[in-house]
Amino acid sequence: MEKGGEATIDLKRDGIENLSSRVHLLPCCIKHDGPTEVSHYFKPKPTGVVGEDGLPLQQSHFRGRLLEGTTLPLPPNYSGFVLGKKVSSKKSSESSDSWETSATFNDITYWNHDYVPSQNDDFFRAFHWITVAKALHTPVTPEELESSPLTL
Amino acid sequence: MGSETMVPEWASEPCIMGIDEAGRGPVLGPMVYGSLYCPRSYQNTLATLSFADSKTLKEDKREELFESLKTNDSIGWAVDVIDPKELSAKMLKKNKINLNEISHDSAMGLVDRALKMGVLLTEVYIDTVGDPGKYETKLSKKFPSIKFVVAKKADSLYPVVSGASIVAKVTRDRAVREWVLDETADNMHRNFGSGYPGDPTTKSWLEHHKHSIFGFPTLVRFSWGTCSSYFKGGAEVLWESDLDEDGGSNNNGKRQLKLKNMGFTTSKKRSEEIESSGKGRSRFFQARKLEHLSHF
Repeated sequence: MEKGGEATIDLKRDGIENLSSRVHLLPCCIKHDGPTEVSHYFKPKPTGVVGEDGLPLQQSHFRGRLLEGTTLPLPPNYSGFVLGKKVSSKKSSESSDSWETSATFNDITYWNHDYVPSQNDDFFRAFHWITVAKALHTPVTPEELESSPLTL
Repeated sequence: MGSETMVPEWASEPCIMGIDEAGRGPVLGPMVYGSLYCPRSYQNTLATLSFADSKTLKEDKREELFESLKTNDSIGWAVDVIDPKELSAKMLKKNKINLNEISHDSAMGLVDRALKMGVLLTEVYIDTVGDPGKYETKLSKKFPSIKFVVAKKADSLYPVVSGASIVAKVTRDRAVREWVLDETADNMHRNFGSGYPGDPTTKSWLEHHKHSIFGFPTLVRFSWGTCSSYFKGGAEVLWESDLDEDGGSNNNGKRQLKLKNMGFTTSKKRSEEIESSGKGRSRFFQARKLEHLSHF
């Protein structure tokens, strides 16, 4: 890691705001970093249509463009965390490498410009990694290894 | 909306229809296409009803004429109200649909609706949008049984089009007057003015309602050139779909590199840019835009 101090991430859920159904991933880069009146201007509406992949579809508009979206629950045993840099009590000008939880979430609504979300979307497919990671990292017992038909 | 709840007795007689639009130029509010139709045998009486091009009439007079034509059993009418959200969305699609195309589709929709209702349309008069010759060809191809008259200023030449222009204009004015803003921020008001970009009331409404992140309320047609002058000073927004087009390349790696370049964290190290481009990453991760993050 970087020089100086240890990096820590303080993950907690109790007493922290839950942003579920309010986390949006837009197909654009907004060159702004900070709060804005999202709920007053960004008004997703369910279309009443369920996509061919069983995803309930929503529509919204941003800067005049039609966005088509769907809300994906995070996989079981996963949580979303919004992290902010910990303000250190020391009068250090160095930026701290320690993070604390500012909010949590259990789902993400992602939006496509002009096309209906489907399981072929990059974002949807990114979750495949979780299955792969689990398979890669689950310890293999000697018994399983023995019974495996694979030989080198 | 329209007089379509009951099919008139005269629907099976040869009928004429006029089509006109209201609210094509304004930077906000819906664009409305209106139609008016009647039996051909009623044409001469129609000419005596003092319909004139709606723009030359006072608002009160237009309202009065609209109410009278609604109660006239020899006249049918219909409107197609195109929401400003729909106008913006179509004109800002990845494959953009221009306003002429939207207008043509709306007019053809009105013809189609009358035919499906069982109105025997033989002649349709339309104020032109774009080149009259090309427009006429397009219409005749779609509806071969109908004679189309496409003309400039058709609304002042043909009473049936004048009537349609009243239907459209009154509907548009009412829609703007009664508009309920989707947005719920404080300090918003509905003193829109005419909606024309040069109208001082409209200008001051736009100035007051611009937003550095969201641009404007969705009543505004974002695709209008007027809007961009108000966006100065607002947060810049770059769209993935625009980048795809510029790049002219479907190469994933290249696209991701560009996306990274436009991010607002400009002090990215070169090595990170290469990492972000997907170079050297397994295809599995490239295809899912996943990147290994060792520190943040």
